Amino acid sequence: MALAINTERRRKIGKQIVPYLLVLPVLFYYIAFWARPVVQQLVQSFTSLEGQFTLNNYIMVFTDLNFLPALRNTSIIVVFSVTLEFFIALLLALLINRKFPGSGIFLFLTMIPMALPAVAVGALWKTGLTTNGWINSLLTYLGILTEGGKIYWLAGSIWKLLALMIIIDAWQVIPSIMIILLAGLQNIPKETEEAGYVFGGNYFTVLRKITLPLLSSTIQTAVILRLIAAIQIWLIVIVIVGFSRMPVLVERIVYYHEEVPRLTISPAMASGYTIIVTIIVSIAALAYLWVSGAFRRKRKEV
Amino acid sequence: MASTFKPLIKASRRTMFYLFVVSITVMIITPLFFLISLSFLSTDASYSYPLPLLPSLSENYELTTGERGYLLSLEQRNGEYKTMLDTDDMEKMAVYMKTRLSTPISIPELEELTARVDHEGTVYFKRRSDLLNNYYTFFQITRDAGPAFIRSLQIAGMTILISLSIGGLAGYAFARYTFIGKNLLKFSTLFVRMFPAIAIALPMVIILAKMGFYDQPIGLSLVYSIGSIALTIWITSSIFMGIPESLEEAAQVFGATKFQAFLRVTFPLALPGLAAAAMYAFLGAWNETVSAIILTQFNPTFSVVVYQSLVGATGQVNLAAAGGMVMAIPSVIFTFFIRRYIRQMWGGMTI
Repeated sequence: MALAINTERRRKIGKQIVPYLLVLPVLFYYIAFWARPVVQQLVQSFTSLEGQFTLNNYIMVFTDLNFLPALRNTSIIVVFSVTLEFFIALLLALLINRKFPGSGIFLFLTMIPMALPAVAVGALWKTGLTTNGWINSLLTYLGILTEGGKIYWLAGSIWKLLALMIIIDAWQVIPSIMIILLAGLQNIPKETEEAGYVFGGNYFTVLRKITLPLLSSTIQTAVILRLIAAIQIWLIVIVIVGFSRMPVLVERIVYYHEEVPRLTISPAMASGYTIIVTIIVSIAALAYLWVSGAFRRKRKEV
Repeated sequence: MASTFKPLIKASRRTMFYLFVVSITVMIITPLFFLISLSFLSTDASYSYPLPLLPSLSENYELTTGERGYLLSLEQRNGEYKTMLDTDDMEKMAVYMKTRLSTPISIPELEELTARVDHEGTVYFKRRSDLLNNYYTFFQITRDAGPAFIRSLQIAGMTILISLSIGGLAGYAFARYTFIGKNLLKFSTLFVRMFPAIAIALPMVIILAKMGFYDQPIGLSLVYSIGSIALTIWITSSIFMGIPESLEEAAQVFGATKFQAFLRVTFPLALPGLAAAAMYAFLGAWNETVSAIILTQFNPTFSVVVYQSLVGATGQVNLAAAGGMVMAIPSVIFTFFIRRYIRQMWGGMTI
């Protein structure tokens, strides 16, 4: 059997030229439209308007009054939304973990929030969070608000707004993390968990010692992918809160590029913030690749 | 005794379980329900508070003589009539009934009614609501919405073409061959896929401007293809892996060339997977906003138009809802068709 695979493989390597021709377009495409802009961006970020090497662009971003708030707000949203979403999703997945009539429709419904375009989600919550919006109307119908009573969702401190962002993100993301975990749970053979019970484990020891370890790769990849998405939150912030009131990293880029493009500092600021986001996301992406085993497999094959 | 209770306990546990599932569903559906409902509400209804849960299918009117001409009143939810307009200008009244109240009426019809008012005094009449009024209005009054919609479809179409042709080839290579650098390329596709869109969009302004593609649909589809090529490779390689190579070999035994064998045997079998990859590329291009904002100026995409209608405080929530719905519908439909792939994608992918 091993021999058969070996000859098979040798035969394939023999026809070397074909696979290279097939992947050549991708390679060219990536060099022209991915590597080139990224390198240009990097070079430009170290270049002054006169074309000299400079660190000023970065100093400008780091000393920007909105930089630390933007970094802080983004971190808060990322940390809280990802942990909250993950634990609730896990809880829901564990509670649902079984096949039931209508589960097909249920699974599709749970996918809808994440499948919605960001602008549609923006429209959804923008129309909801205004004082005459559907959320207050719903609360009135449910009798929680008295007739004519209103909650001013968007007034108040930045912490309240951050909490709103986290809740909106949770609505969008929890259902889909739940189905990812559900899929992972249903891939675990029943016997392994039953064995845990046979050896005297209760529900929680089985969960901790058997179920969660078997789920861990699913959990890790899902969490990092969410992390990458959460770092780049911007549209919902601008649509709900507006520019500059609750700065986040990518919102700053759009702000300097769209709102105040004429300022002399704008191009440098936009590119500085872009590099920072790029570095943070790249680290998360490398973590993802490491966790998903891209490095390991490579080492084995070489 | 215990045996009589057992089915009862089982039944109650089942009920609890379904209650739980239903309450999750309600949490997901409620905001969507309001977005849909709001997109059908007339402007007048969308300013009322609390918002009606459902759009009314028809409106009851009262028309009588007023101080300035004819007095139009609309029946409210509590059964009382509320004065809307007092005018003798029939065109104005027709426009008002269409734009504010979503009940289109022709001027001759109005004139017939006012003639009856002159004759009989107060007249009551009923008009059917035009539920799609907000959708028409969104395209009429939002600058660029129509052309932007077509442009977004063009961009999505070109993105599909670029990413399927380039990514499909590589997907085939990944599925059928072992070659040096394969892992490095796999690795790069995953990395590129996760790379922030904004990091490419910003420097691409200059590159596309030099190519003459800035603010052009082709420019954006070049950018969107960067991400969707990786997905196409991932989807197509898993498809081609699922089609046994022996089928192609069998065709070759019967005298077909390698290329003919691919075209006649593998390609038709791979079509559903290629369709999935195409839909995924569509979703990527259709949903994207940040690159589109940066790389367009006078020719925005539809998502940019809706975004601007949300940011610009025009205050017309029913129109914003209609715009959001037009964005959402294609996404939800395509997601339904490729839900299996998307679920795998969210759980993390390995080529």
